[in-house]
Amino acid sequence: MRILIVDDSKAMRMIVARTLREAGYDEHEFVEASNGRQALEVVADEPPDVVLCDWNMPEMSGLELLTCLRGAGWSIPFGFVTSEASPHMRAAAIDAGAMFLIAKPFTAQDFQDALDPMLA
Amino acid sequence: MTYIPSADDLEVITREVWTSFLDGDPAGLVAGGDPPTGEQITGCVHLSGAYTGSIMLQCSPPAARDAAAALFSIAPGDVTQVEVVDAIGEIANMVGGNVKSMLPGPSLLSLPMVVQGVLSVPGAQVVRTVQLIWRAEPLTVSLWQQAS
Repeated sequence: MRILIVDDSKAMRMIVARTLREAGYDEHEFVEASNGRQALEVVADEPPDVVLCDWNMPEMSGLELLTCLRGAGWSIPFGFVTSEASPHMRAAAIDAGAMFLIAKPFTAQDFQDALDPMLA
Repeated sequence: MTYIPSADDLEVITREVWTSFLDGDPAGLVAGGDPPTGEQITGCVHLSGAYTGSIMLQCSPPAARDAAAALFSIAPGDVTQVEVVDAIGEIANMVGGNVKSMLPGPSLLSLPMVVQGVLSVPGAQVVRTVQLIWRAEPLTVSLWQQAS
């Protein structure tokens, strides 16, 4: 499986990848993008199987990316990994077509809970 | 009446970020001490909307370097200024995002800003602050509110 990690923080992209390995997804391929616009280029070049995306980013936010993907007909499973996890944000994420929202700081278990049902 | 997260809330959130990503030892972050003096690195995110204000993280340059080293899993001596800005900005973003979730909404959270020195927001005042020590270096987390 090819997992696209989108976050404007390089440190956070590394932490997400590290946590995914801890969660048992070390055999999957990780690709990275630092904002929504760059993520769109990655998707167009070689579509990932899952997108794990920050919410608040320069150039193009995670919500704008998701809206753009769905508008273009992409149904790639999409989850937010963000520091904002209020009920309002969770509802907005689901309404836009996200499958889950993982709050930062997170654990390996959080990724297992979100990704295992998709991989089963 | 609007609930404003307490200083204890700020400490709990900061500890959660620290123990998750920076220092697995819950005793590594100690409450108390004095605010940083001299050179400082400040990370800040702004909130605008139902609550307008800021969340700031201030620390000494050695603490900022060690925080970046921990997040990037590299030796402190190998940390660059770009990595310090990335790390302090992301920590401020995580603390700020979690504080935002406790405040009245809806509000927008800004992208993080990191500066060398002290940051002051015109027209805003500190409503909560927590003082911590990490690896013998001071660390301050504060919540600001814009005067209405």
